[in-house]
Amino acid sequence: MTVTPGWYMALAAVLFVIGASGILLRRNALVMFMSVELMLNAVNLTFVAAGRELNVIDGQISVLFVMVVAAAEVVVGLAIIVAVFRRRKTASVDELAGLRG
Amino acid sequence: MVFLSLSFWREAGGAMNVNYLSVAPELILTVAVVLLLMIDVQWKPGYRWWGIAAALGFAGAIAASVMQWVGHRGEDAAEYFRGMIATDGFSAFAGILIFPIAAMALMTAWPLVRSLGRRGAEFVVLVMIAAAGAHLMAAASNLVMLFIALEVFSISLYVLAGFTRARADADEAALKYFLLGALASAIFLYGIALVFAATGTTSITGIATFLGNELLFRPGILLAGIALLVVGLGFKVSAAPFHVWAPDVYQGAPGGVTGFLAASAKIAGFAAAARVLTVALDARIEDWAPAIGVIAAVSIVVGTLLAIAQTDLKRMLAYSSVAHAGFILTALVGGAAGVADMWFYVATYAVQVVAAFGVAAVVSGPQQGPAPLADYAGLSTRSPGLALALGLMMLAMGGIPLTAGFVGKAAVFSAALDADYLWLVVLALVAAVAGLFFYLRVVVLMYMQPAEGSGSVPVPLGARIVLVVAAVVTVLAGVVPWPLLRWLGEALPG
Amino acid sequence: MSLIDYLPIAIMFGIAVGFAVASLVLSRLIGPKNPTPEKLEPYECGIVPLQDPVQRFPVKFYLVAMLFVIFDIEIVFLFAWAVRFHDLGWYGVGAVGVFTLLLIETLVYVWKRGALDWNIAHRRRRVVDRQLREAA
Repeated sequence: MTVTPGWYMALAAVLFVIGASGILLRRNALVMFMSVELMLNAVNLTFVAAGRELNVIDGQISVLFVMVVAAAEVVVGLAIIVAVFRRRKTASVDELAGLRG
Repeated sequence: MVFLSLSFWREAGGAMNVNYLSVAPELILTVAVVLLLMIDVQWKPGYRWWGIAAALGFAGAIAASVMQWVGHRGEDAAEYFRGMIATDGFSAFAGILIFPIAAMALMTAWPLVRSLGRRGAEFVVLVMIAAAGAHLMAAASNLVMLFIALEVFSISLYVLAGFTRARADADEAALKYFLLGALASAIFLYGIALVFAATGTTSITGIATFLGNELLFRPGILLAGIALLVVGLGFKVSAAPFHVWAPDVYQGAPGGVTGFLAASAKIAGFAAAARVLTVALDARIEDWAPAIGVIAAVSIVVGTLLAIAQTDLKRMLAYSSVAHAGFILTALVGGAAGVADMWFYVATYAVQVVAAFGVAAVVSGPQQGPAPLADYAGLSTRSPGLALALGLMMLAMGGIPLTAGFVGKAAVFSAALDADYLWLVVLALVAAVAGLFFYLRVVVLMYMQPAEGSGSVPVPLGARIVLVVAAVVTVLAGVVPWPLLRWLGEALPG
Repeated sequence: MSLIDYLPIAIMFGIAVGFAVASLVLSRLIGPKNPTPEKLEPYECGIVPLQDPVQRFPVKFYLVAMLFVIFDIEIVFLFAWAVRFHDLGWYGVGAVGVFTLLLIETLVYVWKRGALDWNIAHRRRRVVDRQLREAA
């Protein structure tokens, strides 16, 4: 059995779903945040696999941009989580229920 | 003198298809941002300098957008930087709309900026960067470029939403916005990857050519990609059922920020949606148009019903913005034919929402998140001007004739009727009438109830200018909409 | 692909190994040596440890780590540029130059704002100075 790019895309789909369910099910902001990173990296895997299969370079180039954007998002996201943590001494999103209507 | 002749530069530039006018708004804003930060950190000239730098940056960006409009609309539309940036009537109009809106939002937020001390410079810079990202979203003609623009825009807004350290609910708003926004970005990006896997390109015109000519060897992957793109953009424009973040973020973010957040997210999100759906995926309209119709219907119903129950002005406006997202999506079910109608609604709504949140920032305080409706009881006696402005905006959002809101609703309904979406138009009409209830409730509250607090409300100069401009635009576009409508007929993707 | 094509890689490898070995040998040859018990501890960093490191890190580590992540990841664009260095020519050099200038501008801003100030006492004094200035 040879491992074709299609397998990688299937793996990426599984990783993406794991990440998405992590966001919906977990209650710790940091873990939710890790799930977002997992989703982004699943997309990266899709890009590389599709680029390999179609024999075009665009897939790999896209990954470079996604990596940089993800890093910028990490920094801002962690800054917000640290700000919340400092004020409330918890990173659980269940505690964040001050805004209701 | 080899550096000065720059012939090698121009040669390479020719191969790259470089055109600096096509990114001039972004370049001008970036230069203004760099100068603002560097001069501020070195000589500490204070908020006057921030105002000057921001004014110069926005004025330059508007001028560049007007030059793009003059030189590149209609037949002269072109793509530059190897198909990364499209310069056409669509992107030029987006610039002409976004930069004044951002400048207006910054003017209403000026008391907040001044209260932030040294951090105010960063606030101004983030608004400028977010505006540049929003324009780039409208101008991107490659999906990866669009993703980068979306992130430049969104990341700036995440920070802006939690900019005050004084209140706990601001960082709650920022965290919620960030987590759901990051989820939406990842979903949108996966949509890009799947469309790329199905068509072999991320260029928007390339996808259109491919879908128009070739037989698809993976229709399932393309459909999944389209669905994920729609969901991702639905999050950004707060269309139901992807709207859960909007009320908390609108209410928790500082009063000075919410107007910019609401207006720019609508402009940029719908610009991106229009270009992706009506250009790249035009050949697949029968796949996505019904989905857009359903999302529009759900948004209109959910937004209207939930807005009725609110006791906080900003939260009510958040649910009303969900309903407005639905009305705007109504224009897109007709595909490319509805883009001009979409622009009219988006442009007039952006002006109204900046002005409405501007009033909220004055009455409830620029740092404050919540804006309880009780604060607005008897506002007409405490500040007739503010009450008049907010009342006018409420009437326009409700779609009363002789305001821009009425013409906008008529335009999007006619676009949907042309596309044979009668059920959607009937539903939207019923919801629009029901929606009048909560808009008029604010007017009644301001004019027919006794004031609880005493003393007049001082209105800062910036907010005063913005409210007058918004009121004039809203009435003018409602009474004589034809020049704007004719003009928007040219604001189409090239 | 003939063996000669691997020559640049071999030279690169040689330089990398040579630099590492040269640094180690030179520091052994010319560096002063007076070992103390503290210096011989594992994970020695010149400061006598006050307690076991099983505790939360101060938030200043986080700030520097974040700045590192940002500046570190931007390098990825230089890889793409390096691959096509010859084709892009002076245009590429100019574009990367602008990119690098913007990065430097960011670094200067971060530095001037005091985000790289490792010493908490320094930063406190800076805040007090500012409050005094603003009060005056």
